[in-house]
Amino acid sequence: MSLSVKSPRSLRCLWRGWRGLSSQGGVMNVFDRSMKRRQKQWASSLLDSDKYDYLRDEVGSRLADRVYDVSRTFPLALDVGCGKSHIAEHLSKRNRKKCEMPTQCVLADEEFLPFKENTFDLALSSLSLHWINDLPGALRQIHQVLKPDGVFIGAMVGGETLYELRCSLQLAELEREGGFAPHISPYTAVTDLGNLLGRAGFNMLTVDIDEVQVHYPGMLEVMRDLQGMGESNCAWNRKSLLHRDTILAAAAIYKEMYGNEDGSVPATFQILYMIGWKPHESQAKPAKRGSANVSFADLSKISKFPTDPQKS
Amino acid sequence: MSSSNVWSRSRARMRLFPELLAQCSGEAAAYGKCVASTTTGKQELTKNMCVKEFEALKSCFQSAAKKGVK
Repeated sequence: MSLSVKSPRSLRCLWRGWRGLSSQGGVMNVFDRSMKRRQKQWASSLLDSDKYDYLRDEVGSRLADRVYDVSRTFPLALDVGCGKSHIAEHLSKRNRKKCEMPTQCVLADEEFLPFKENTFDLALSSLSLHWINDLPGALRQIHQVLKPDGVFIGAMVGGETLYELRCSLQLAELEREGGFAPHISPYTAVTDLGNLLGRAGFNMLTVDIDEVQVHYPGMLEVMRDLQGMGESNCAWNRKSLLHRDTILAAAAIYKEMYGNEDGSVPATFQILYMIGWKPHESQAKPAKRGSANVSFADLSKISKFPTDPQKS
Repeated sequence: MSSSNVWSRSRARMRLFPELLAQCSGEAAAYGKCVASTTTGKQELTKNMCVKEFEALKSCFQSAAKKGVK
């Protein structure tokens, strides 16, 4: 496949925003979106907010790699939950001619995309889908705003992200308080992701997992960096208080159970990458039943020397 | 700099936490081992199962904090 991809000529960013109306009936309401907006605003108002960008930059560059792997040009692209445009800076660095991509930032809610149908050739999303309440609905909206034969390339944290932190807090709360409450938000499993994308109408799906392990001096630094990234918990069922004793106990457990030899502790981020295409006639379809012209029984004949005139 | 309020003061106190914990690494390791052993054993973890080790860790932590404040 040729890798001659010109960078997108124009990119629209979508910043997460305020959700005015209440949710429709029957939709899951797991996260407090207004709280998440306040957390993100606080995180970006920090003086040293660049210190916490390492994970987003890394995932943004890997996502940009995947965009370059697709041998097509995309005149108009949408970045859902762009934050500080971590993907866009990697897309424009590659192009030696240094053409600046015109970008426009729109403050909106991911669950209510304010765009017309069939507008975008490419939709991107990096590390922002895990705070959406109605993930099937959001994927359906992304599917709608894409043009036919458009592609959605996304990355979200999922699966066993931060399992060390989750287990340490759980054990500490059990030992200290006799019960435990969820402190880590629920994540999408990789097996569910294929279903979600299929239900939203995407086909030719590709889903893969990547693990990023970051080493920290201790549990408190993990929590502080998560806070600085704007990734604090905002689920409705979160406990608003974490006892001093529990924090002490959890830090000790984390170091003992998961610590490395040099005294640092790892934190695992499992990133799920997904690629889905909006259906179009030019895409390859599965062959019709009964159209096969070779038989599986001929597989045994493959071992014969290729110059054999018999067709296998 | 913004004015000092309860959030900035409590965050400043939390910043000292890792240093103080480092001074009690022995007690922390003992407590961690006690809890970790219950995950592999047959018995489930119940409240105050490792209370002795935790009390040792807590008193070490508090004395380290007192020394630090002076």
